[in-house]
Amino acid sequence: MTDALVLNDLRKSYGEREAVKGISFSIKEGEIFGLIGPNGAGKTTTLRMICTLLTPTSGTITVCGHDNIAEAAEVRKIISYLPEDAGAYKDLTGRQYLKFMAGFFASGQEFEDMVSKAIELSKLGERIDSKVSTYSKGMARRLLIARAVMASPKLAVMDEITSGLDVMSAYEIREFVRELAREGVTILISSHNMYEVESLCDRVAMINHGSLVLTGTPAELREEYCANNLEEVFIKAVRGAGQ
Amino acid sequence: MNHLVNITKKELRELLTPGTIASILIVVIMFSALGTAMSGESEKESAPKEIGIVYTGDFSETLITDSATSTSYTLQTVLEAAYKSVYGVDNPADHIHVMTAAYGDSKAISDECAANGYSVALVIPAELKTNLSGNIRTTVNMYYTYSHGGIFGSVSSLTGTVFMNNINTIISKVLIDNSTGNEDKTAFSMSPLSAGTDYTTINGQICEGVTPYQIFSSLMGQSMIIPIIVMIIIVMVGSVVISSMGSEKENKTLETLLTMPIKRTTVVSGKLLAAAIMGLVYGVCYLAGMMMYSNGLTSGLSGTSVDLSKYGLVMDTLDWVILMVVLFLAIFCALGICMILGAFTKNYKMAQTMTLPISGLAIIPMFIFMFTSWENLPAIGQAVVFAIPFSHPMMAMDNLMFGDMMLVAEGIAYLAILDIVMILITVKIYNSDILITGLEQSKFFGRLSRMFKRKEEENEYR
Ligand SMILES: Nc1ncnc2c1ncn2[C@@H]1O[C@H](COP(=O)(O)OP(=O)(O)OP(=O)(O)O)[C@@H](O)[C@H]1O
Ligand SMILES: [Mg+2]
Repeated sequence: MTDALVLNDLRKSYGEREAVKGISFSIKEGEIFGLIGPNGAGKTTTLRMICTLLTPTSGTITVCGHDNIAEAAEVRKIISYLPEDAGAYKDLTGRQYLKFMAGFFASGQEFEDMVSKAIELSKLGERIDSKVSTYSKGMARRLLIARAVMASPKLAVMDEITSGLDVMSAYEIREFVRELAREGVTILISSHNMYEVESLCDRVAMINHGSLVLTGTPAELREEYCANNLEEVFIKAVRGAGQ
Repeated sequence: MNHLVNITKKELRELLTPGTIASILIVVIMFSALGTAMSGESEKESAPKEIGIVYTGDFSETLITDSATSTSYTLQTVLEAAYKSVYGVDNPADHIHVMTAAYGDSKAISDECAANGYSVALVIPAELKTNLSGNIRTTVNMYYTYSHGGIFGSVSSLTGTVFMNNINTIISKVLIDNSTGNEDKTAFSMSPLSAGTDYTTINGQICEGVTPYQIFSSLMGQSMIIPIIVMIIIVMVGSVVISSMGSEKENKTLETLLTMPIKRTTVVSGKLLAAAIMGLVYGVCYLAGMMMYSNGLTSGLSGTSVDLSKYGLVMDTLDWVILMVVLFLAIFCALGICMILGAFTKNYKMAQTMTLPISGLAIIPMFIFMFTSWENLPAIGQAVVFAIPFSHPMMAMDNLMFGDMMLVAEGIAYLAILDIVMILITVKIYNSDILITGLEQSKFFGRLSRMFKRKEEENEYR
């Protein structure tokens, strides 16, 4: 399997404060990869750099063989990004929103197919024609996820995808992500829910204070830290790094 | 699929909601009310004016004597008393100037007024004394110089009328005192002087039969409304752009939009285009509303509509084109400023505050041009007004009509330079991280904001 994403000594500074301090890891095609770490560790910053929103201070990012800076336009065609706490345009209906977004990827019949596929994925039923401002958190999240995957990206990046959702909604979304991965989409998520990461992700990377603390499959990490679950691994890793 | 059209369409769909349309109507009504309030303002008197007198008779010769009190009045004392009662000053003689121009020589009178800065000249025939004793009404002509711009530009015509009325009252009181029992004389005594022809000098040309106030009223239809319309367009368009950026940031839709396979310049242009279309819609609505309202106002006030084209006060095709160019450059500048401010907003609320500077920049010159004009400003005021980009479309019409082309040209050059600077800054910002991160990452602003904000609870996990 080839690498869908390669980070090489990635760094990012906000003014004099370094938020990401040299991170390197790679994700294979079709993998579900989890990025974990305490608040302010640098997860969102890393994901934004991968999605061409922020320019790295140094280091390189390669998405499916395309350099993130030199070939940003190519990269944008094959990735999709779902920001944390994202919303949609409040004055548009769900259908209008999906049409607006699909317009950037396709036209004609392809466009129509893309929109109807996304409407189906969103499972919003007739509410697809209600204004986004009337949606519940779960409904809005389903709409945004449908948007994120409708253009069949090679790499889907999702920041805190299930935060704030009830048990059922979160479960459904996890199922959805698994299905996507089976279809060959590479998925990079960040999460604070260790149960979710453990059950969903093929591999995990943990960052703390902007540095990579550990990488591996959940099973490997449990073994390495002599822990029963990922939560214990997390706590031990953070305490270890803090000393 | 054209991405620019896609973005513009979506922006417009968000912008043209029932709420925004209602707000257009409310503002139109508000400004109508403001306009009505202003029309009262124009009747007020202001600082003492310099008045010129053309009279070939003797100023110190006794005109009439009050038989009751035995007080004698000369033209000099009548004028001074009248002036004092208009302006309440102690030195009326300093403001009343005997002119050398000959009676009836309009050109000489007008030139002398212009040279000495007299607001109004009263031309009194030499027969005044004989007329008074012969119960013949004397006709007094008045010469004005039209000073353009703003409500107070028209005050000189009121000065003339009020001054005339006071002279009349003073003489009339004496005549009535003297004429007790003689009922035939009363009608004459009530108004021994009558206003003759008004002459107003505009652009060095003497126009017979109009007062500055009438000209002002007719001009107001154009030169007063332009500043208001320009102000509204700029404030509306500005708040549209900034609020749109604010809510895009708040909902993180901007982050999504910027990962789409489109150029950032397309995103920027789409927003600008939508805002410009909005500006056009607002502009047309307000212009139509204002025109209807101003027609009512001018006809209600002056009773006479003056054909301005007779006096060279018209905009020819070239003038209109120039005005449009200035307006376009100014709106572009407003959009540029707003895109820059919008890049720094974090959410919708902050966006509302960010519109304040742009509103201020538009409202200040609007009020300046409503109440005064460029040439009445002190040098420092002129500098400030010139620096505000939105002043230029507001004063362009006056300047074009009154032939001050240099100022218009300088304004265009200034706006063009400003626009280029705005484009460069906007492109730079929209291709940088600032759009996503805000100003925190810049060292200077980072320190500044940390002074106000308590330190972020980073890594609170520990
Ligand atoms: N715009 C910004 N300007 C300055 N510093 C920033 C900015 N955004 C993030 N940071 C800093 O960078 C560091 C990493 O932030 P980041 O948002 O990447 O963390 P995170 O891992 O996503 O945290 P969370 O789990 O809370 O979402 C933090 O210390 C944060 O304060
Ligand atoms: Mg985050």
